[in-house]
Amino acid sequence: MIEHSRTGPVLRHAVLIGFALIVLFPFVWIVMASFKTQIALLMGQWRFAPTLFSYDSVINGKTSDFVTNFKNSSIIAIASTTIVLSVATLAAFSLYRLQWADWVLRVLLAWSVIFHMVPPITLAGAWYTMFRSVGLDNTYAGIILAHTTINLPMALWMMGVFIRDVPKELVEAAQIDGARTPKVLRYVVIPIVRPGLAATGILCFIFSWNEFPVALTLSQRATATVPLGIGKYAQENTIAYTEMAAASTLSIIPAFILLIVAQRFIVRGLTSGAVK
Amino acid sequence: MATVELKGVSKRFGAVEVIHSVDLSIREGEFLVLVGPSGCGKSTLLRMISGLETISSGDLFIGGKRVNDVPARDRGISMVFQSYALYPHMTSAQNMSFALKLAGKSPDEQAERIKPAAGVLGLGDYLDRFPRELSGGQRQRVAMGRAIVREPEVFLFDEPLSNLDAKLRVRMRAELKELHQKLKTTTVYVTHDQIEAMTLADRIVVLRDGVIEQVGAPLELYDNPANRFVGSFLGSPAMNFFELSIPDGTPDRARFADGDSLQLPRELGGRSSVTVGVRPESLELVSEAGDGTISAEVAVIEPTGSETELFLRKGKDQIIASFRDRIDVRPGEIVHLEANPAKYHLFDTTTELAI
Ligand SMILES: Nc1ncnc2c1ncn2[C@@H]1O[C@H](COP(=O)(O)OP(=O)(O)O)[C@@H](O)[C@H]1O
Ligand SMILES: [Mg+2]
Repeated sequence: MIEHSRTGPVLRHAVLIGFALIVLFPFVWIVMASFKTQIALLMGQWRFAPTLFSYDSVINGKTSDFVTNFKNSSIIAIASTTIVLSVATLAAFSLYRLQWADWVLRVLLAWSVIFHMVPPITLAGAWYTMFRSVGLDNTYAGIILAHTTINLPMALWMMGVFIRDVPKELVEAAQIDGARTPKVLRYVVIPIVRPGLAATGILCFIFSWNEFPVALTLSQRATATVPLGIGKYAQENTIAYTEMAAASTLSIIPAFILLIVAQRFIVRGLTSGAVK
Repeated sequence: MATVELKGVSKRFGAVEVIHSVDLSIREGEFLVLVGPSGCGKSTLLRMISGLETISSGDLFIGGKRVNDVPARDRGISMVFQSYALYPHMTSAQNMSFALKLAGKSPDEQAERIKPAAGVLGLGDYLDRFPRELSGGQRQRVAMGRAIVREPEVFLFDEPLSNLDAKLRVRMRAELKELHQKLKTTTVYVTHDQIEAMTLADRIVVLRDGVIEQVGAPLELYDNPANRFVGSFLGSPAMNFFELSIPDGTPDRARFADGDSLQLPRELGGRSSVTVGVRPESLELVSEAGDGTISAEVAVIEPTGSETELFLRKGKDQIIASFRDRIDVRPGEIVHLEANPAKYHLFDTTTELAI
């Protein structure tokens, strides 16, 4: 028994460390690759003289669009995330707190989950045709709309969970205190679901930032996003591994910053003391 | 301060009617308590008055004005919820002044207006704390403060004390009563606790299954329950009921199955049975069986310090008697009880209405 209780934690930690390594290894490999020369990389050197050559080429290179890609991705991810959060929050509040008939709720949620199960690529072709006919191809608006559509079901489900956690009495108390629905949302519901908004927002942002097939279909050079920019390094006859690694490393930064900032909001037990 | 009037008010949830045509007139400045067992429709009735629940049929008047279609925010009411429903992301002060903020009052005016309420409720030191940093009693006070600050025409309370421990409940009960004596605002207070009802109310409304059973001052209901349900609901320990037969030829006597018989306060001609209700404190111990005594076997003795309660068995009936004095009896002993016939409550055995 004593031995068992001693080996238990050791084993657990070994397994955890093992998993961490499996997850981290490719990441570390990419970051290291971004500081290598192509030769050092191809020779598989572990000890090398780090160079910023790849970063310089990605950011300042004459043929590189990466800065534009970065700007495009930022605009598209921020815009689509903002729209998704607004729509999902309003929809979830309406569905769960404004006394809809049961079947409305069920039909809408079922429909959204089915929509969520369809791979985005199957929709990309249809969107391309539709957007072209109304002049939305190769525009931010087109990709933002597409990403909004793809992210909305998941965001609706997530915000639904958080909104249902807000005690009904709080909404009622606010109504008695004189608030109409917009103010109930602004002063009571949204401040309470802020952690949920942060979590949902991060997932939507990261999805939009990383999304490849739909952006590929709907954009051209001027509106290309970061994943397309990264992909381009593999389209020549030779694959520019180190530039690709540098671009990949740079592309992780926004999500990383976002996570650190959002951490502040994602605190537990925000409603403690509200009821009971 | 305002009157509240309900005329034929009903509530249906789908096909189920839970409030059946309630008529009720609440006077200006009155402390009215709605009491009844859990699920009888107290909260639903209160929520219809507040405007949080629609009225299926009938009319509701507040201050003489029909308010069926007026939203909660415009009815001039404040509500204290059982769960307090404090905004968790706001301090006590912000909770109390939220309505003022929504009404567009300046921060200075908000601070000015919450002062008296905070003073009355002893919240001065807690104004900057969040609900999670407050004890149950303090949260309760903040919830009351939030209701007071709005200076409503009518206060609505839905079991506001039931989340507190017994001691605190008694204290808050007294504070509530004092508050009402000070503010004199019309109050509708919902509880399932008959002691709260008895101690707080100017008038009590006893509700059962969505129907008003009786309305009246606490002691009026206690002394003259309109039916067996009201008799059994008010008072603790609860009233004893004996279903007795009235032998032919003696319309002023009622008999137990074992032969004991009671002298009725008046003749009940034309009846063959009667239910006699006797409050536990109306029973007295006598040393010998005699005319009008009830013999029973002692089952359990519960001394509470100030009182002694006896649980007795008589055939299949259980009897509870309570005494101010300490008494010397043992379980298993046969004792004899007696009550003044003037203290009997007589009910029809089938309709359960007082006769
Ligand atoms: N929103 C609702 N939908 C359906 N039935 C309800 C609803 N609210 C209350 N009821 C029913 O109405 C009855 C009265 O409930 P309520 O007013 O909460 O009782 P009380 O407050 O006296 O315990 C109960 O039978 C309850 O199940
Ligand atoms: Mg209730």
